[in-house]
Amino acid sequence: MRVLGQIATLVRKDLLLEWRGRTRGLSVVLFGIVTLLLFSFAVGPDSAALRAGAAGFLVLALLLSSTLALSEGFRLEHENHALEGLLLAPVEPMALYYGKALSNTLFLILLAPILTPVAVILYAVDAGPATLVQVIGLWALAAAGLSAPGTLFAAMTSRLRSQDVLLPLLLFPLVVPVLLGSVKAIALVLGGDPMGQLSSWTVLLGAFDVIYWTLSGVLFTHVVEEGV
Amino acid sequence: MNEMAMPEGVIGGGWTYVIAGYAITAIVLAAYAWILRRRLRRTENAEDER
Amino acid sequence: MKRLRWDAIIGLVGLLMLLVGSYIGLFAAPPERHMGEVQRLMYVHVPTAWISMLVLTAAFGFAIASMWTGRPKWDAVMTGATETGVVLGALLTVQGMIWAKPTWGVWWDWDVRLTTTLIMVLFFTGVLVLRSYVAEPERRATWSAVAVIVGYVDVPLVYFCVRWFRSLHQVQSSPETVASTMITPLRINAFAMLFLAIWFVARRSRLELARLRRESVALPPRRAPRGTAVPEAPQEG
Repeated sequence: MRVLGQIATLVRKDLLLEWRGRTRGLSVVLFGIVTLLLFSFAVGPDSAALRAGAAGFLVLALLLSSTLALSEGFRLEHENHALEGLLLAPVEPMALYYGKALSNTLFLILLAPILTPVAVILYAVDAGPATLVQVIGLWALAAAGLSAPGTLFAAMTSRLRSQDVLLPLLLFPLVVPVLLGSVKAIALVLGGDPMGQLSSWTVLLGAFDVIYWTLSGVLFTHVVEEGV
Repeated sequence: MNEMAMPEGVIGGGWTYVIAGYAITAIVLAAYAWILRRRLRRTENAEDER
Repeated sequence: MKRLRWDAIIGLVGLLMLLVGSYIGLFAAPPERHMGEVQRLMYVHVPTAWISMLVLTAAFGFAIASMWTGRPKWDAVMTGATETGVVLGALLTVQGMIWAKPTWGVWWDWDVRLTTTLIMVLFFTGVLVLRSYVAEPERRATWSAVAVIVGYVDVPLVYFCVRWFRSLHQVQSSPETVASTMITPLRINAFAMLFLAIWFVARRSRLELARLRRESVALPPRRAPRGTAVPEAPQEG
């Protein structure tokens, strides 16, 4: 119970900070939009090809934005030794991890209502409100999958000078199941699912989320024992 | 040999690929052994100097 | 004359066996009926696959041991196994490409095992890079052990998602039925690879232990002040 209360407090703190420093969040959103735009330039004005790749572009925009959001999250904590203060408070390391991972997930989920409509318009995808809700649901699963190992790696790399290189280097190969699962599932939602494969991809995403939310929480305790 | 025979015939001209495969294997294994030897020697020499 | 160390003996035995096994595989074993001569690649490719997987599994075990005990010994062996796994995995990927070209007509076919191997090689290379950036030994040990555990758990997930991803295109069968005349060189080479891998892991662990000893002499025992995590100087020459 105490841990749950701590997690809630930490999430509230992170979201409050996020709200106060709106420009930071805004720049991640803008980064996502620019990425979506660049993909359409890379493929060219071929609307059929754009529509076919829409799901992939959308998830890649999420993935690229996530590295920005994840590395920023811990950078803030290191200013003024805020992290040590939290651990001395004393906040349970596990609560610290789940609080951070949860606020990262929430932040990434908040990107969906902005980036998904942009993608739908740019790539001329036929999508009604029901489809959009489904896409946002899958987006949330993907965001959770990225945040779980992402928060762990961000904690480990946040004090290293080369974090910007190291975090994607570790995170991108690891989240291939998230990437494949969400791209396939979103493509099936957008383009129709004649063979009923949507559920297996969703289960894969869910399995990844469950495994990594559990494992990373346990491992994080050891990570902060050595001092982040 | 293979009961589930496939309709196509034998793939010809395979020796080039076989030689390439064995050569790559030999090169990678030898190179890694050599690199390890060099690194080990350098580290242990530095240790002796101390 | 220096006395031969046990790992040197294992390495030599491995080398000899690899030569013998490859000779039988190349010249004594019959060509396969459909794959023709290309099939001879199997005698190095399949052992590399088995042993690279085995070595990474060992790295996972060593990572758990390293986290459990906190002993530098396990950290060193884990590093050895991870690096050997990366080297063998990279070799495996190249061998796979060389085999894919004559059989499937393309260098890269998104084959399940090959793709999974490539992704794992990339991840574990990242772990080695992470190690080289963390200056403080205890922190480095914990963090790389955590990364190895996290990465190893990912292997089955990657495997399944690549398989499903592939199955939407076409099913690729690979030659699994092996005649008895082909088993002998395969077995010999599998053990040869195993011995060579043990030798690599032993050598690399020795190197890591030597480095750790050097660090503990060079660094004051007190932890460096916070905010000064400087990357090590490049070690490769």
